[in-house]
Amino acid sequence: MSEHAAKADGNEDMSTIDHHGSHALGGHHDEGSYLSLKGGIVSTMWAWATTIDHKKLGVMYLAAVLTLFFLGGVAALAVRVELFQPTTMVNGKITGQVFQDAGGAVAAGHAIYNRIFTLHGAIMVFMVIVPGIPSALGNFLLPIMLGAKDVAFPRLNLLSWWVYVVGSVLGVVSIIMGGVDTGWTFYTPYSTSTDWDVYMRVVLMIGAAFVLGFSSILTGLNFVVTVHKLRAPGMGWFDMPLFVWAIYSTAIIQVLATPVIGITLLLLIFERLFHVGIFDPAIGGDPVLFQHFFWFYSHPVVYVMILPAFGVISELITVHSHKKIFGYRAMAFASLGVAFVSFLVWGHHMFASMGEMASAVFSALTFLVAIPTAVKVFNWVATLYKGSIQFTAPMVYALFFLFLFTIGGLTGLPLGTLSTDLHLHDSYFVVAHFHYVMMGGTIISFVAGIHHWWPKMFGKMYNERWAIIGACLVFVGFNLTFFTQFILGTRGMPRRYATYIPEFTNLHQLSTYGSFILLLGFLVHLFVFIHSLVAGRPAPKNPWGGLSLEWETDSPPIEHNFHHEPLVKHGPYDFETTVPPHWDPKDYPIPASNFTAAKH
Amino acid sequence: MMTSLYEHGPMNATLAEGNALRDFIFGTGGSGHHAAMVEETFAWIFWIATFFFVVLMGLTALWSFQYKRRSTPVALVSSSHNTVLETMWTVIPLGILAVIFFKGFQGYLDQAVSPAGAIEMDVRAAKWDWRIIYPNGAESTERVKLGSGKESPIFYMPAETPVKLKMISSDVIHSFYVPDFRSKFDVMPNRYTYYGFNSSAIKGSGTLTEGPFAGTPYEDHWLFCAEYCGDSHSEMAAVIRLVPRDAWNKIVDGFNGAGLTPAEKGKRLYTIQCASCHSVDGSKNTGPSWKDVFGKTETFTDGTSATVDEQYVRESIYEPAKKLVAGYGPQMASFKGILSEDDVAAIIEYMKTLSANVKPGEGEKK
Repeated sequence: MSEHAAKADGNEDMSTIDHHGSHALGGHHDEGSYLSLKGGIVSTMWAWATTIDHKKLGVMYLAAVLTLFFLGGVAALAVRVELFQPTTMVNGKITGQVFQDAGGAVAAGHAIYNRIFTLHGAIMVFMVIVPGIPSALGNFLLPIMLGAKDVAFPRLNLLSWWVYVVGSVLGVVSIIMGGVDTGWTFYTPYSTSTDWDVYMRVVLMIGAAFVLGFSSILTGLNFVVTVHKLRAPGMGWFDMPLFVWAIYSTAIIQVLATPVIGITLLLLIFERLFHVGIFDPAIGGDPVLFQHFFWFYSHPVVYVMILPAFGVISELITVHSHKKIFGYRAMAFASLGVAFVSFLVWGHHMFASMGEMASAVFSALTFLVAIPTAVKVFNWVATLYKGSIQFTAPMVYALFFLFLFTIGGLTGLPLGTLSTDLHLHDSYFVVAHFHYVMMGGTIISFVAGIHHWWPKMFGKMYNERWAIIGACLVFVGFNLTFFTQFILGTRGMPRRYATYIPEFTNLHQLSTYGSFILLLGFLVHLFVFIHSLVAGRPAPKNPWGGLSLEWETDSPPIEHNFHHEPLVKHGPYDFETTVPPHWDPKDYPIPASNFTAAKH
Repeated sequence: MMTSLYEHGPMNATLAEGNALRDFIFGTGGSGHHAAMVEETFAWIFWIATFFFVVLMGLTALWSFQYKRRSTPVALVSSSHNTVLETMWTVIPLGILAVIFFKGFQGYLDQAVSPAGAIEMDVRAAKWDWRIIYPNGAESTERVKLGSGKESPIFYMPAETPVKLKMISSDVIHSFYVPDFRSKFDVMPNRYTYYGFNSSAIKGSGTLTEGPFAGTPYEDHWLFCAEYCGDSHSEMAAVIRLVPRDAWNKIVDGFNGAGLTPAEKGKRLYTIQCASCHSVDGSKNTGPSWKDVFGKTETFTDGTSATVDEQYVRESIYEPAKKLVAGYGPQMASFKGILSEDDVAAIIEYMKTLSANVKPGEGEKK
């Protein structure tokens, strides 16, 4: 700490000298972009596979997560196609069932559907949404935003990546072997009794989730230490960008909650392989115990999924409206508050299987989570007031996020309420609710964040107009796909159904149409990204006029992030009084009145 | 009838007095005072949520366009912190949430506390069929055919009567969900759970059209399984049919099956225990059809084959995994302890009546 303080007091030349000094000790001095190639293809690939550079790891995570998102998305479309019509038997012929078994039995066709929705859920939760923002954007940005050269433990970071790869490969192998039909929640005793003839697949899929958990723990640990120890000189806790606060809160949950699911999944594997009776009542276990264990992890993990999204949105709304975030401290504490309360609400997944007292307590605690979440939405909306709002693709997405996440949050109310939950629990209302939160919240903000930091990550601009067209298609498609599912749910359509009563056909068809508009929107984004990589114009260092440290460095950053160790002289949101780095003061004429007004 | 994909359309009951929004959200099938309570609580939350949504999105839209970047990229200065405002928007929602919690808790207690003087019945859940055992020990032998051809039971329930169901599962977790009653509860394999309701009076003018109780007014509601339980989870359905209490007494008495021949008794057992997986018309289901199966030579998954005789049927009921007919999975659980030797003998007699391989009179030979 004293070393940092001394540097903060010194002038820039001092830190420059220090910077060069450390390189003299470390060996070579590379000022080139982190993306520049080293030798041939093989040596470049080897360099990436063994890199300890947080930026390269972030980009590799990004590529992996987007690939798996595509795989999970294909499964989602398969689900929507199957549900376009209910399965019916007309004159001995099956109609309306897309995925049919060769043997011709209706139930065997349903079994295929059950594998597809499990595939969708398991991939999206464990391999896309949980690692998405923290591992891809977090890895790339966290050290740069803190003004550091790398994370605290770069080698551990490389290990996290390879653990993630191993976990994902296990999952994909299980799928190739035929997949599992347990649902991503692995509820016992179904998960310990299904597919007993091919039990290795289930063990593999559970093993995949177990291994992925370790990647999560290691990354979380790394980030916590990085935030504590590697802030640039002059950066106090409340000078950190809110994205860093969000990743920090997320990392705490990951470190505390993930070991519980690790133990639970291990017990599940033990029960399957060695018939140790823990969850299966047939051999002396208790199935509800599994649900407690599972949700003790999986509910906090809902916030592992959404908190980073909050961080992204805080950055996007402030930068694209050049406005100081409203209620910075409330935002930071709301992130921590959500992280804390998230550990106390797991029971609300079990209102239909728990005693009355427990249900009442968990329902009351659940409502507490709504408060910090609501405060965040209020603060984002208030930040827009008197801003200078530019409708770039990331900002358009941030506004869509506010719309979708507000719906997602408010529809959580009837699910936290006991009497209404007993009707809506395990219905399509729940499906719609968590898609509004997980997809409308997390995935939308992930895509928004990719657009926002794309110029920084790859040094190329993308086509703004087409990105906005893609965003609008995603927005329309999303609402058509999932708003219909709220009504299906209130009308009594249970989830995880391969077929349904004919009354629900129209709403299901609307939902399926929506999912194809959604696909179209994402394809537009894919082409925008490819076009940018191939033919995008070079990105300036600070295209949006952001103030956090990633906008001080080059686009793309050099291998060691900064030419000089940065000194933090302004807050990340002091737009009223600071000319953004690399901007001409003539293009950012701050009226003198701003300086006096901002003092208050 | 092709307009409805079900042979019987159970959604015949409608609430007379409609409220367009309520009908849009929930449909028109709601039944009983608990359903009304849930709908009312939902409506409260709906209007509160709508208010907040409109205010927040209204301000977002207004400010987005009012403060769209025009000449200068520099924003106007405004306060970025306001203790009074921030305290208010923390405390006021907290108060509103407290009210919602208590309303939900009230409705929940109404559901959780079993109605006084209720008629008690047992619910047995197993992949993928529901059974309800009436107070006289009888079980319903009436079935509807779902769109896909799977058979599901019709459970007769007395109208305007408190009912308490004691539920248990014999395999995985299921969930007893009657959407029109706006409530569900999980059915566990290791302990009893309960589902109580005060059935409402019969609305609408539907009457039974066939059978000894033709002319009796009735009202149908779907029963679904809401906890994922495998292949036929989406067809683990049944119909809850409300009929007047006196008619219900007579109908349930008619199900007790006294004085039946063995084959008739076998048919009755088939309807209750076997029909959800085995057809009698030759169509393929989770298990092989019983049509013409007795006396037929089947090939098994291990490549061997044998004639379906009395020994094989008995063995397949008690140890179903031992010889699986090729093309079928190991989905059937043992019926040891559920079907007695008398029951199995009766089922064998019934199977004989379904098979062209058994000449009349030959079935009696030992």
